[in-house]
Amino acid sequence: MTSIDVADLTKEYGPVRAVDGLTFAVRPGRVTGFLGPNGAGKSTTLRLILGLDRPTSGTATVGGLPYRALDEPARRVGALLDPGAAPGSRTGRDHLRVLAAAGRIPARRVAEVLELTGIAGAADRRIRSFSLGMRQRLGIAAALLGDPEALLLDEPSNGLDPEGIIWLRGLLRELAGEGRTVLVSSHLMGETAEFADHLVVLGGGGLLADAGTGALIEAWTTPRVRLRTTEAEGERLRALLTEHGYAPVLAAEGRWTVRGARVTDIGPLMARAGLPVLELTGEQGTLEEAYLALTAGAPEFAAAHPREV
Amino acid sequence: MSVSVSVSVSVTAFTAFAAVLRSESLKIRSARSLGLTLALVFAVTAGFSVLMSTSLGPEEQAAPDFDPLESAYFGLNFGQVAAVCFGALAVAGEYRGGALRVSLTAVPRRGRFYAAKLAAVAVPSFAVGLVTGAVCFLAGQPLTAGGGMGPGDPGAVRAMVGCGLYLTLITLLAAGLATLLRGATAVLGLLIPLLMIVPFVIRGEGLIEYLPDRAGRQILFQDPVGSLGPWTGLAVLALWTAASVWAGWEALRRRDA
Repeated sequence: MTSIDVADLTKEYGPVRAVDGLTFAVRPGRVTGFLGPNGAGKSTTLRLILGLDRPTSGTATVGGLPYRALDEPARRVGALLDPGAAPGSRTGRDHLRVLAAAGRIPARRVAEVLELTGIAGAADRRIRSFSLGMRQRLGIAAALLGDPEALLLDEPSNGLDPEGIIWLRGLLRELAGEGRTVLVSSHLMGETAEFADHLVVLGGGGLLADAGTGALIEAWTTPRVRLRTTEAEGERLRALLTEHGYAPVLAAEGRWTVRGARVTDIGPLMARAGLPVLELTGEQGTLEEAYLALTAGAPEFAAAHPREV
Repeated sequence: MSVSVSVSVSVTAFTAFAAVLRSESLKIRSARSLGLTLALVFAVTAGFSVLMSTSLGPEEQAAPDFDPLESAYFGLNFGQVAAVCFGALAVAGEYRGGALRVSLTAVPRRGRFYAAKLAAVAVPSFAVGLVTGAVCFLAGQPLTAGGGMGPGDPGAVRAMVGCGLYLTLITLLAAGLATLLRGATAVLGLLIPLLMIVPFVIRGEGLIEYLPDRAGRQILFQDPVGSLGPWTGLAVLALWTAASVWAGWEALRRRDA
């Protein structure tokens, strides 16, 4: 199947190094989230993979070949870069017909992807009358035209309504489930955590992380335990936990928070000490926390990049 | 063996090009403004030419350097502006809002994309130019005083076909320039003065004969005056067009999309 391999990729725009020695691989059969703040180099990397921009050095290949060397690119890679790029004066259907013709894709596929993305009813309207959400759906339709082995989608959920986001999540999971390679950039953490199995995180043009979503969260967040005992036993609980190296913090209404602990650590401790347990909850960190912890280590984030890349 | 391989490769390349050409001509056909521009090439050229032919009096015809086809293609002065617009606008669509990125993602081989784009522009402009050339002649000549030229007279067919070639070359000149300049506005700002103003401002022979429209329109006369003949004049225009197309290609090939 088609993997996307980025090796030591660097792109400079004048004095600005938008992508800096980037190496990662996007594997088939899973959804890979592509994360990073604005200006981290996500869109530039996607353009480099698609052969639209020429790298200063390094390579990006799709199934082992540079994108420009692919014989039938539409059947190998479907891409959505910018929903605003579809020409406003053309109808949605004509836009797809133009792309289908170039990729030698049968015309009936146009109707299929229009149905699939839920914009068949608007297909004969001019694109300039489309909402952002409809343009996104049209862009996704265009990406799916050639029934491609790999998909590159840049912020596809931008402008989608909640229903659309749920639809997109299902679609991405389904495409990956069929064994396709799916790379989806986003800056929304909660959303990405819901559909991505794997994450590639950029910061300042470089690679910050390339790991499974769960593993990344585990590595970059601290689990917590929230618990409550009777009011009378508060001090005994504090003494017990402190003795075992924890730093419990008393919050409102007698609830305690213990960072760096799991229920499997705290529960047995309390039981052995004979402390009544009124509440005991473990909390896993979120992707957002992991991301913030991860990016806090990268000084480039402090400086604003001069252009959105 | 190697022959059959190379044949199959070239067949593949040909069908791939045909697909891109179909895609590019769909782009042109699905943009209403482009069809309108092409209709204007015909209407303006033929309209003004026929009008001019009717106003041609015996005293003009008696002048010593009178060419029977002098007025037949008079409307081309204005019609060529529509041709410039057609060529420039057909390309400029790619430079609006990142459309080129979509196009080059679909057709990553830029040479194939550019060749198909130019062919998709050239074919309809030649067809319209040919019809325009025939109508200018066939409708205009009978209206001139004394009946004018017949289609069998020397230079008549050459001029009709020449009108098609001239408009095609002007359209491609604009298309190449629009690729270089990434839009239509600068092309119009550059080409319209070059075609419409410069030849009337500069006086005298020499350099002026080699300007694209002066040189290219030698083919529209039965017996053109000056150092360039009908075909050599057209070749000079073709050189202008080739330079513009080449400059557009270099820009497209080298630039990040």
